[in-house]
Amino acid sequence: MISRCQQGDQEALKEIFDKYHNKVYRIAYGVVRHREEAFDIVQEVFIKLFRSIKNFKGKSHFYTYLYRMVMNTAIDHARKTGKQFISSLDEEGSFEPSDELEKGPERILLQKELEERVKGAMEKLPAEQRAALLFRDVEGLSYQEMAEAMGCSIGTVMSRLHYGRKRIQELLKDYVELHGQSRSSSNVSKGGNPPKL
Amino acid sequence: MKDSCFSISKLLEKYFDQEVTDKERLLIEGHLQDCPACQDALSSMEEIRTLIKVPIEEAVQKEDFPWVWQKIEREIRLQEKLTWWQSLRPWLDLSPLLKKKVWIPAAATIMVLLFITAQIFFKKIPSYSGASVVEYAESETNNIMVYDLEKAKVTIIWLFEGPEEEVIPS
Repeated sequence: MISRCQQGDQEALKEIFDKYHNKVYRIAYGVVRHREEAFDIVQEVFIKLFRSIKNFKGKSHFYTYLYRMVMNTAIDHARKTGKQFISSLDEEGSFEPSDELEKGPERILLQKELEERVKGAMEKLPAEQRAALLFRDVEGLSYQEMAEAMGCSIGTVMSRLHYGRKRIQELLKDYVELHGQSRSSSNVSKGGNPPKL
Repeated sequence: MKDSCFSISKLLEKYFDQEVTDKERLLIEGHLQDCPACQDALSSMEEIRTLIKVPIEEAVQKEDFPWVWQKIEREIRLQEKLTWWQSLRPWLDLSPLLKKKVWIPAAATIMVLLFITAQIFFKKIPSYSGASVVEYAESETNNIMVYDLEKAKVTIIWLFEGPEEEVIPS
């Protein structure tokens, strides 16, 4: 499929698109947090891929090569549009989950508010830390795979993850503390890891 | 938080990311059984993962992608149609040369070459094809022939002494 695409076969590109478009969209959406922009990135990535796939020598996994392209395109996009430094939720009031969560419309409203807070918190992270969190927590890449995709060392990957999580924890402290304490550690240690590719 | 938490905390994130060795796993799991603080730290990481992951997963599920592929396909075809023209454009683009003022010596060279070529191709070769006999007079002693070259504005007069005698073989 990849070698056919390297020879300019558009059908092969379609197969690659069918296999990877969800993953590409997830990373793009995770970085820019905007539907239309995420679609623009998906489009740009696959066009770039078709043009540059000849340069893929097979020294790394194809998906890490693709993820690297997605990350670079998404970060460039975020920087161009100034999204990286924008947050509509600066210094917002604390979120207070309560019994109201069980109620219908109010629960939806609170859920929406929480989503906005997470979005705001993610936007406050440097793009590299944001991408590290997305690669690990959404895509389930290993440190080695992340290092390949991000073009850095495993130590840098761990550092980005650590500082990213720490910052998110600070920004969502009230919510995380309340919900984190209510969970049992046994449940946490068993599950929660995202599926591998 | 216990004193041992300090050493475990360095491994806790690796444990959460499933990047520890079996030996480290046993060590951490033993510690977690008696340490609510580390259990909470682990829970927080899990909570954050859920908060990040779930909205993205939900957003992806809502979307429909065939139209995106159609757009990509259209864009690739459009770019391919332009390729031959785009490949010619750098050759046709003279603006970098004009900026560098290379055109001054280039233009001078072209002018000199044109001048030399013109000299070779358009050199005037004298021709008498336009000449015509205007007059011819014959007498017993002399023959006179007058040529008039119109273009050169020259008149040539030939004088022949004595009439030609035909030699008749005996």
